[in-house]
Amino acid sequence: MFDLLNINPGLWVIAAGLFCTLIPKSPATHYVRKLILIAAPLYAGWLIFQMYSIDNEYIRGIIQVGSVELTTLRIDGLSVVWGYLFCLAGVINGIYGLHEKCRITDSSALIYTGSAIAGVLAGDMITLFIMWEVTAISSVFLVWKGGERAYAAGMRYLAIQVLSGVMLLAGAVMVAESRGGDFTFNFIGLDTPGGWLMLLAMGIKCGFPLLHNWMQDAYPKASITGTVILASFTTKFAIYALARGFPGTDILIWIGAIMTCFPVFFAVVENDLRRVLAYSLNNQLGFMVCGIGIGSALALNGVVGQVFVHVIFKGLLFMSIGAVMYRTGTAKASELGGLFRSMPFTTVLCLIGAGSIAAFPLLAAFVTKAMILAAAIEEHLWVPFAMMLFASAGVMEHSGIKVPHFTFFAHDSGRRVKEAPWNMLVAMSLAGLLCIVLAWPWGGYELLYSLMPYEMDYPYKPYTWDHVVFQLQLLFAAIFAFTLLKRRGLYPAERRAEILDSDWLYRRVGLDAVTWISQMWDRVNIHVNRIKTRFFSDFGRRLYQVFSPAGTISESAPSGLAAGLTAGMLLLTLLVIYVLGA
Amino acid sequence: MSDDVKHAVDDIHPAAKPFLFLGKESVKRNFIWLPLIGIIATVIIGYFHPLKHPAPWEVFPGSWAVFGFFAYSAIVFTAPYLFKLLARDEDYYGEGGLPDPDYSTEHGHSAPTDSKAGES
Repeated sequence: MFDLLNINPGLWVIAAGLFCTLIPKSPATHYVRKLILIAAPLYAGWLIFQMYSIDNEYIRGIIQVGSVELTTLRIDGLSVVWGYLFCLAGVINGIYGLHEKCRITDSSALIYTGSAIAGVLAGDMITLFIMWEVTAISSVFLVWKGGERAYAAGMRYLAIQVLSGVMLLAGAVMVAESRGGDFTFNFIGLDTPGGWLMLLAMGIKCGFPLLHNWMQDAYPKASITGTVILASFTTKFAIYALARGFPGTDILIWIGAIMTCFPVFFAVVENDLRRVLAYSLNNQLGFMVCGIGIGSALALNGVVGQVFVHVIFKGLLFMSIGAVMYRTGTAKASELGGLFRSMPFTTVLCLIGAGSIAAFPLLAAFVTKAMILAAAIEEHLWVPFAMMLFASAGVMEHSGIKVPHFTFFAHDSGRRVKEAPWNMLVAMSLAGLLCIVLAWPWGGYELLYSLMPYEMDYPYKPYTWDHVVFQLQLLFAAIFAFTLLKRRGLYPAERRAEILDSDWLYRRVGLDAVTWISQMWDRVNIHVNRIKTRFFSDFGRRLYQVFSPAGTISESAPSGLAAGLTAGMLLLTLLVIYVLGA
Repeated sequence: MSDDVKHAVDDIHPAAKPFLFLGKESVKRNFIWLPLIGIIATVIIGYFHPLKHPAPWEVFPGSWAVFGFFAYSAIVFTAPYLFKLLARDEDYYGEGGLPDPDYSTEHGHSAPTDSKAGES
């Protein structure tokens, strides 16, 4: 028998989520739910810590199901980082959503968080697949809590996520077959068609170019808390799967490099800041995918570090815009501006998030993004390096400047609102503090280094003169370009619009095509039915006219001829039966 | 939104009051000097501390500044063309667009937001 305690720490969080669905709705039980929301990921984190202290290759939960051996728990140097990170994100998200009295959000947040934790700690591809699908199904409720306008986006989100899961399973079966039935989730590679299928499945979930649309479609439409929670897990779960299954796969370098660049152009024209942040999220994932493709110890450690800080600073940015939306009802840049007068604490925290994502010295991504860039230089990958550098200027544009500027500064929109609720401020402050601590030059970033799983030839030193100075050059130049273009009236004003992306192909062209085909099918059906009905009724009428007692044959032909015809028919029938029967 | 009532000092958060100068036109106009001074300073320091592992094109002390300036400008200059090409009405897909305040200044989508939603 298997040990219940050692199946997977994530299962306790899922169980807590299921329990929350049963708690009746009332003001008193609301606090119980909230307590569980924060306590469950904390408990899972503590369990992971305990298990990892016993053995740094903690493998348990080996269950035989038919001919398949499952390993439901594997805590090693790589998975433990994601385990801790998801627990931390679960706690911060829980605090952020304390004000929200919604049982569905609380329950689905817990199940979603738990399945993401269980997924990254899974040791085999079947458990991975199950958790892959549970994250999809549990998280769609967070999208639907965005209201009626989010319904269709939620359906698309669910369809795409489930499709990704099905592809993952199909790929896993093919990969396992090529390995003699071994479902262990380790390096997969692209030697088998199953490997390609799994790469594509992970690519959907982490937003490869042209497979990314679900993110920008669903995230800005989810509820305020929902978006913050959604942004933490799904894509980073996929990054973990890529880091485990495809490190050093060359094609990922180019996919990642393109991923860093293309969202930059969409983010600059997009008006809704939550969608801007979704594009920005896509761009950050590009750095990670590129790092996984490079595959050196420096690059992979950079990816691990980048994932860790990214969840925190991206969460911080989504939280700050969520707080603004909570107070003003919108996240559209054209409707905002000047909010530093009403929400000064949120402003400062958003600026910390913006500085972190733009990789300002002393703030989060300064250390980790530089590791990925340094790894590209080390491998002489000049074009991907240039693309990532270009994208860094882009990050400064959309997340570093656009998001805080058009929300809190720019022209005064005249909106005078309250500061964010205390729980939002606490959650954002925690994230902000971590952004500073994890990049702190005197012992801070070493904390992050202690989590990195791969042995490096030499520890990367982020705070060198040349790195600090040249990074500042890039950032100052970007700010200067912004102020200059703004002053010259060349910076485009934020305008309300729906910006089309490649999802137009299925949301408009595909939908129109299917609608047209369906309408044509209906018409063809009607015509075919009419022709059929007319043909049979005509045929019957003619037969009647010819052969009935009042028909033409009875009228004009002599009875002897009719008897002859009948005998002939009988003979023909007998012959047919005789031949076929033989 | 030039309504003076909305600009009343009483509505301003106490912690923001010492920073109201940030909203002044003169401050906004002269802000440009900060990044400019930053660029000059970092280019000078970059001369004394060049990149240890430069890319083939990073041959002068201000290379990242030039790259940053042109990359940023290029991104912004594409925006109007992209907007012309890709922008459609907010309700183009017929799903109600993205959340808006009830007192939105344009279009007037009336769908309520969930921000003050009660127990559900």
